[in-house]
Amino acid sequence: MKSLNMQSMAKSVTTRVVRLWIFGLAVAGALTTLPAATPAAAHGERSQQAFLRMRTLNWYDVKWSKTELNVNDEMELTGKVHVFSGWPQAVARPGESFLNVGEPGPVLIRKSAFVGEVPVPRTFSMDVGKDYEYKIVLKARRQGRYHVHVQINVKDGGPIVGPGQWITIKGDMKDFTNPVTLLEGSTIDLETYGITWTYIYHFFWMAAAAAWILYWFMTKGIIVRYWQVKAGKGAELIGQDEKRIGAITLAVVLLGVLVFYAAANREFPRTLPMQAGLLTGISPIDEPRSTVAVQFKGGSYTVPGRELRIRVKVANNGKDPIRLGEFTSAGLRFLNPDVFTSRPDFPDYLLADRGLSVSDSNPIAPGETRDLEVIVQDARFDIERLSDLAYDTDSQFGGLLFFFSPSGERQKAEIGGPVIPKFQAGAAL
Amino acid sequence: MSASTETGSPAGKTWKSKEEFLGCVILTDWILLVVLFAVLLGSFHIHYMLLAGDWDFWIDFKDRRMWPTVAPIVAMCFAAASQSFFWTRFRLPIGATTVVLALLIGEWINRYDNFWGWTFFPINLVFPSALIPMGFWLDIVLMISGSWLVTALVGGLGWGLLFYPINWPVLAQYHQAAEVDGVLLTLADLIGFNYVRTGTPEYIRMVERGTLRTFGKDVVPVAAFFAGFISMLVYFLWWNMGKWFSTTKYLEIEEV
Ligand SMILES: [Cu+2]
Repeated sequence: MKSLNMQSMAKSVTTRVVRLWIFGLAVAGALTTLPAATPAAAHGERSQQAFLRMRTLNWYDVKWSKTELNVNDEMELTGKVHVFSGWPQAVARPGESFLNVGEPGPVLIRKSAFVGEVPVPRTFSMDVGKDYEYKIVLKARRQGRYHVHVQINVKDGGPIVGPGQWITIKGDMKDFTNPVTLLEGSTIDLETYGITWTYIYHFFWMAAAAAWILYWFMTKGIIVRYWQVKAGKGAELIGQDEKRIGAITLAVVLLGVLVFYAAANREFPRTLPMQAGLLTGISPIDEPRSTVAVQFKGGSYTVPGRELRIRVKVANNGKDPIRLGEFTSAGLRFLNPDVFTSRPDFPDYLLADRGLSVSDSNPIAPGETRDLEVIVQDARFDIERLSDLAYDTDSQFGGLLFFFSPSGERQKAEIGGPVIPKFQAGAAL
Repeated sequence: MSASTETGSPAGKTWKSKEEFLGCVILTDWILLVVLFAVLLGSFHIHYMLLAGDWDFWIDFKDRRMWPTVAPIVAMCFAAASQSFFWTRFRLPIGATTVVLALLIGEWINRYDNFWGWTFFPINLVFPSALIPMGFWLDIVLMISGSWLVTALVGGLGWGLLFYPINWPVLAQYHQAAEVDGVLLTLADLIGFNYVRTGTPEYIRMVERGTLRTFGKDVVPVAAFFAGFISMLVYFLWWNMGKWFSTTKYLEIEEV
């Protein structure tokens, strides 16, 4: 019985081989797939350290021109960013930065990007203490609902993620096109450009390699050759005939390389090397000097908790009385309901519209200097893990204060410094 | 397999017939081929992803200086080791072609499945570097010369020199120029800019960074020769690595 099995085994070699190959390819597929299998759902916006989010880039006036699009529709992601003066020593300065988008894969493509008036497909330089305005034009590519963030990657500092908004895209990616006009005048669809040829070229060579391998494998296999080499008859395996086959194959391969190369040069006579290089000298926002001077006098916050208390000395050097309306940090906005009578359009998870109060709510008169206690109190402070400041090497907070005149004119002041954690019962470092 | 001798075959004979014996040899050959291919695919793919990485992943990393230097040098490791195994043990002139084919099959599965299938990066952003003709070159140089020394020198140099020309037929189309918002870009740059990679900022590209600038615009030949020379050294090292890996060690019966 069992020897019968042996015989049928020998006969069914081919079917087994096919099955083995399919299995092998499946295993290879699974193995090569595994490293990328972690979902992009949690993109780590909260896992970045609190001091990093508070004391590097302060995002404000972030706007998404649309939150619902069809495939091929365009939207704009605009806003301003303040480069914090007290940039932490632990993070590389933004001398090489790249304006990016935080999204799960290219579900929207970036058609153009600007900082100030300068297009930034490349890396650019920012100065500490300055403010920059940006604009990213995005084109919807894949249907679904995605959280889309503005983001600036800082070399040796990592990605610094700004506020995110849910964007809904309707339609089908199959209909997506990305027309681009070449310098020589013709228009192509970059979404699919050159892909068919890339497949043909690669699979042509791969088929040739497979044929070469199978040819040698089929002529004598592996084991028989091993026995022959073992028996000292290795030289007989590669004789003049075999060498001739090799030489002819090599000649054909090299001729193929030459023909393909020449054809590419004939078809694309004018090509450029890739363009790269640092963009420097991008102008920051040109704005009049703030007429409000704020001095930090100390503060405290609860761990874990939802509260930050800071003492400041505010000097109003302007012509109008002012009131403190907003504190923003790490993309979060804490608003003073006395000043903001209506809720601005901003992602809810980042907007504490009653999160800010002031010890003395009377307007600060022109020329007046007043000591204030500012209380930032909202669950979002804890949810977004800003109270984790105590676990950071540089446990100083940072952010921007916005003051408003009765006419709605806005004055901005940077604030930051060491704050003392108050550990509550049950909390552990 | 020994089970069949106990029940089915005449005493003292392992195989019932010559056909049965040959069938078994052929089957074992196929199993060997498939297993070897899978092992080479897996190990070479990891090696290549770690060492050539972004240079091989993205079209906008495939420059004229760093890519044609790094990619052939790190690919040479497995090609040399595999040749050492296939040639010294079996006189099979397929060592280099087998590993580069295995690598490319693994890469294409990865690029199609993960980069395109899961993250929607278009294939023209993420196709791998072509390597097959280099495999032919290395295998046939070894076959004709019969000497690993000659293969290291002649084969290694050709390995480095062939890399850019065999990739150019696909690459050329993406080096046409376009203008976006007044900025001059190649299509390769533009694909990289359009299709957002959250974790791959532009500054980590190393486009033609380096010090050798005296050859004007002929950047590629300099890089290719350099890659060829280093490939020679890598060949020596990894041929012996392959030799070491393909030895069989037996334990003495007392040690078991
Ligand atoms: Cu998000």
